[in-house]
Amino acid sequence: MKIRRELWFGFILMGLIILGTAGVMLSAEQLSRGHLGLAMLALVVVAIMLGFPTAFTLMGMGMIFTWFAYDRDITKTLDLMVQSAFKVMSNDVLISIPLFVFMGYLVERANLIEKLFRSLHLALARVPGSLAVATLFTCAVFATATGIVGAVVTLMGLLAFPQMLRAGYDVKLSAGAITAGGCLGILIPPSVMLIVYGATAGVSVVQLYAGALFPGLMLAGLYIIYVILIAKFKPELAPPLSEEGRRIDLPPLMSRVAAAFPGAALSGLLLALKGRNNANIPASYLLKQLLAALLPAIIVLGLLGLVWNSVTRPDPNLAYSAQSGAAGTGTSSGGLAEPPGSSGLREPPGAGGLREPPGSGGLREPSSRGGLAEPPGASGGLREPPASGGLAEPPGASSLRDPPGADGLREPSGGGLSEPPGSSGQDQHATALPHVPAPTGFWIGAGAAAVALIAFYAVLSFQRFEVFKMLLSSFFPLVVLILSVLGSIVFGLATPTEAAAVGAFGGFLLAAAYRQLTLTVVKDSAFLTAKTSAMVCWLFVGSSIFSAAFALLGGQELVEKWVLSMNLSKTEFLILSQVIIFLLGWPLEWTEIIVIFMPIFIPLLDNFGVDPLFFGLLVALNLQTAFLSPPVAMAAFYLKGVSPPHVTLNQIFRGMLPFMGIQVFAIVLLYVLPEIGLWLPKTLYGR
Amino acid sequence: MQKLLLAVDRLSSWVGQAFAWAIVLLTALITWEVFSRYALNKPHDWALNAQIMLYGLLFMSAGAYTLAKNGHVRGDVLYGFFQPRTQATVDLVLYLLFFLPGIFALTWAGWDYALESLAIREKTFSATPLPLYPFKFVIPFSGAMLLLQGLVEIIRCIACIRDGEWPSREQDVEEVDVEKLKKMVKVSDEDIAALAATAPRSAK
Repeated sequence: MKIRRELWFGFILMGLIILGTAGVMLSAEQLSRGHLGLAMLALVVVAIMLGFPTAFTLMGMGMIFTWFAYDRDITKTLDLMVQSAFKVMSNDVLISIPLFVFMGYLVERANLIEKLFRSLHLALARVPGSLAVATLFTCAVFATATGIVGAVVTLMGLLAFPQMLRAGYDVKLSAGAITAGGCLGILIPPSVMLIVYGATAGVSVVQLYAGALFPGLMLAGLYIIYVILIAKFKPELAPPLSEEGRRIDLPPLMSRVAAAFPGAALSGLLLALKGRNNANIPASYLLKQLLAALLPAIIVLGLLGLVWNSVTRPDPNLAYSAQSGAAGTGTSSGGLAEPPGSSGLREPPGAGGLREPPGSGGLREPSSRGGLAEPPGASGGLREPPASGGLAEPPGASSLRDPPGADGLREPSGGGLSEPPGSSGQDQHATALPHVPAPTGFWIGAGAAAVALIAFYAVLSFQRFEVFKMLLSSFFPLVVLILSVLGSIVFGLATPTEAAAVGAFGGFLLAAAYRQLTLTVVKDSAFLTAKTSAMVCWLFVGSSIFSAAFALLGGQELVEKWVLSMNLSKTEFLILSQVIIFLLGWPLEWTEIIVIFMPIFIPLLDNFGVDPLFFGLLVALNLQTAFLSPPVAMAAFYLKGVSPPHVTLNQIFRGMLPFMGIQVFAIVLLYVLPEIGLWLPKTLYGR
Repeated sequence: MQKLLLAVDRLSSWVGQAFAWAIVLLTALITWEVFSRYALNKPHDWALNAQIMLYGLLFMSAGAYTLAKNGHVRGDVLYGFFQPRTQATVDLVLYLLFFLPGIFALTWAGWDYALESLAIREKTFSATPLPLYPFKFVIPFSGAMLLLQGLVEIIRCIACIRDGEWPSREQDVEEVDVEKLKKMVKVSDEDIAALAATAPRSAK
């Protein structure tokens, strides 16, 4: 009677909530409207647990209680409802949700996960527990790019699970690696969960992304370390690959090259080309292979060139703003934008860029919200003074503040005159503009890159070259897509919305490159995007009405008074709140937890001096566990759906437990060392 | 009856799917805007407002579509373990208690709100103003679609209470379509079944 037990579990939980609320209500000396708010909160949790669509539960409940709160004034209630709905419709943070979702569906349908997994597991063949490590790696990359837990777990269940079982891996370990890995996508940015948190808590999504990057990578790293340790100390759970599983078959032409010129791939290819008749292999084939082999060298050289150009380049903006300052054109700080990559291009002083017409006050450029953040040490080619519409900023004003509504990015060195590190010399802004000598740091970096390249080519055998080519066509495109989306957000080159749209466009390109871009794929992705966005955003419509009612009734003050009366220290408060969120993760989904409960928690943070950004990172890590904790652990059910009959749901749940333990460990680690999350936002935005 | 229900389903889906193309438009618009601003140095002040309208239109009008496909997120602690009759009873009560009043109020208020906006021909605050009132009509429109779809769902609940099983719905694209995914990575059911042979070894 398993079903019975689940039902009992739910009913007992519901009973406890109702009893608890009744206890609070009855123990109060006099019932205030705040108590009504608390009752509403308890009722809504019970109603959600009953299983009615959450968005409408919130909306209906919110409406009824708003009506009470306004002393049965229907007009006011209706006004509040429609304004809440319109607020969600015109929310410029939530707008990136459909775009990221759309990008995810397109990338998923580009169908490169098979290649990705195969290339990664061949590349990692020597690592202990290589299949599980490759699984985690694949999941981390693919889940980050798509963010669709169900699809990633199902796909990996189809691809990696059979291979691991055949290789003699423990069922529990394999299942745990797949389910835990598949959930990484909701934490590692760009993730929808962080947007939802940012929109609810009023925290900048840009900073959340910057903050969640290292905790996300840390969690993935901890998973991988755990798997490697298991494979090292309990090899019977994750035996090393057999010779057969590790062998890489060369394509016929390539094996002829390898036979004729054994040794490193690069020299082999060069020698084959040099030979009189190219060892009977078409020269075009050899040249193509050589180009692929030389790609890392070309990229490194190109990057070095760009960096050299930018660190030695006289700063045109410096010249420009100095010029315009001298000419006294005080309002010209807006809209000067150099195209990326035109680092050599010089802006003619005084005539440069687009001048914002003074008095276009309401004009709002998307770019102004991104502000400017120059990565220290990154190529200084991309440079954009905060293009604030109508915000007149005299050039040379120090400590430039962001326009209202900006995401809080600040220029690292303040003022319109920020220089890329390394470029020295105030006197460079004359007309001649000669290159300045590159700093030593650049040459050290170049040397290190050269050594790395030499080492790379020394170990690049023909087999490894095949793996490298596979990585080139599966791993690198995804990583480049993720990094460019994330990089442009975090470094302030684009708003999350813009980056998401360009990412979706990248998804189009990726699907096209893998010959998967058909009308059906686009249609399916668009329809799924519509449904997913409707699900999330209607939830917001419901919850904004609900939160308004809760605030109107004064439930918030009651909670605040109650929490403060407990005399908690900061640590106790954090632990208590995380435990509550962890427990809520059992019956509820993360969307519901964030949109309903974060508006209650966030105002409390001030009393304890907790940074909402840091709290968001803890919550995001915490909600990971919600995906892995029975009975609502969706990941387990997706995996069960595609696993062979002898794998039981219990085995999968037991396999997830150690990974859940790692998640809790990661939360503790983040709590003890907040710098893991806060270092990057601090460095970039100086908060 | 079933025919009528499916017809309304199809109407909701058709509307939702028609506006789902807004996402393609949105992607194209923003990508172009980014290109235009960074490469051509020609930002458009109306772009942000247009983006927001496309986004609002996309998700609001997909509300009924999502409801028709049973895609709104539910708390799944108990619901999945209920008998269909219990599920339908819970749903029916809560549709009448929460859904109908809530959505009806939203539609009603949205209609007034949009009419007010129409009366003054409201425009966005930007250098190139876009008309705002059509966007406000999205609220009553989506609300009405949801109301219609909600009535259909209520009839479904009643049918389910009577028959003891849920009336069927039409198929739609699923986020996790196992069969499709299997085809994508070329894994067949036989392959999975063949894995049973590994059971004794992996169990040890």
